[in-house]
Amino acid sequence: MHETAIVSGLMRILEQKAAQHGVVRISQVLLKVGRLCAVEPQQLMACFEMFAEGTVAEGAELVIDVICVRGRCRQCATEFDVPRYRFECSSCGGNDIEVIQGQEMYIESFEAASRDTKVVAG
Amino acid sequence: MCDNCGCNVTDANRHLLEGDEHHTIEVLENLLHENDIQADHNRAHFEEHGVFVVNIMSGPGSGKTSLLEATIHALPPGLRIAVIEGDLETENDAERIRRHGVHAIQITTGMACHLDAHMVHEALHDLELAGIDILFIENVGNLVCPASFDIGQHCNVVLLSVTEGDDKPSKYPIMFRAGSQVLITKTDLLPYIEEFSVVRARAAIRAIRGDMPVIELSSKNGQGMDQWIAWLLQSVAERKVEA
Repeated sequence: MHETAIVSGLMRILEQKAAQHGVVRISQVLLKVGRLCAVEPQQLMACFEMFAEGTVAEGAELVIDVICVRGRCRQCATEFDVPRYRFECSSCGGNDIEVIQGQEMYIESFEAASRDTKVVAG
Repeated sequence: MCDNCGCNVTDANRHLLEGDEHHTIEVLENLLHENDIQADHNRAHFEEHGVFVVNIMSGPGSGKTSLLEATIHALPPGLRIAVIEGDLETENDAERIRRHGVHAIQITTGMACHLDAHMVHEALHDLELAGIDILFIENVGNLVCPASFDIGQHCNVVLLSVTEGDDKPSKYPIMFRAGSQVLITKTDLLPYIEEFSVVRARAAIRAIRGDMPVIELSSKNGQGMDQWIAWLLQSVAERKVEA
């Protein structure tokens, strides 16, 4: 259940950014999570729902874009999708593979509503 | 009350009348950003003092503490060792290490299934880094979560005991991929566990990381320990050169 630790990090970033931009409500959060992060999207969502309660992100939709693993063969430089953690070059069969995608875990962006002071009637 | 001068706006309906401006805010920030910053900070401390730091990970009961006990005795005298133990509860493992005259700090994580960089940093306050050559950090027994958290180590050693099954690397590929060295432990039990094939275990590890070094050893009868100790000594020497 390291998802709780990850969601704590997420909430800290969201609250900090929300304060910076004068955001009053967050409606959607977009995460990019690589398959090599050992993170379970369902658990992330459940944790997020809990942690977001009482914050600007309460009720926000968490959209998780799972990024597949891609490798580059160090022998023949072929780049390929790594299926089911089998790190074997699709071209030459070599197994010295550098991971070039699938380890990322970051907030891409969020959809926010900020109070637009221009419309406030005098 | 009119719609012209704003006299119809009260505290109760202000949020309905005031327009909310919807927009997308780009963030592009790593979710483990704070942990990673702390981990780099830990590593800077280690490097300043030339300490080689080994993060030991495995499932519960695969022999991490026994390996450390055997390692303490097998390392040449004069090499200064310290140990950080991570468990959800109890001081048991730290006490086992202290019986061998080695300084050990126990981190009890409570509910957390892994060590993070902040916990390790806390523990560093009780360590005199200038007096240490190797620091072993025994992570919480868990083949999933600890792999995601950088704690400032120089290398990850992952244990697979013969009592666990030779398909563990295929089942927990992310952990085994994170290793810099895999140890197949409890080989003294191999004659009694016909289900475990070292050949299959090695093939499963190779499928995940082709160049992963694997050592078979037994902390109990000492078989294979010389190879492990040689690897450690070489790593310590390389670290001293870099420092």
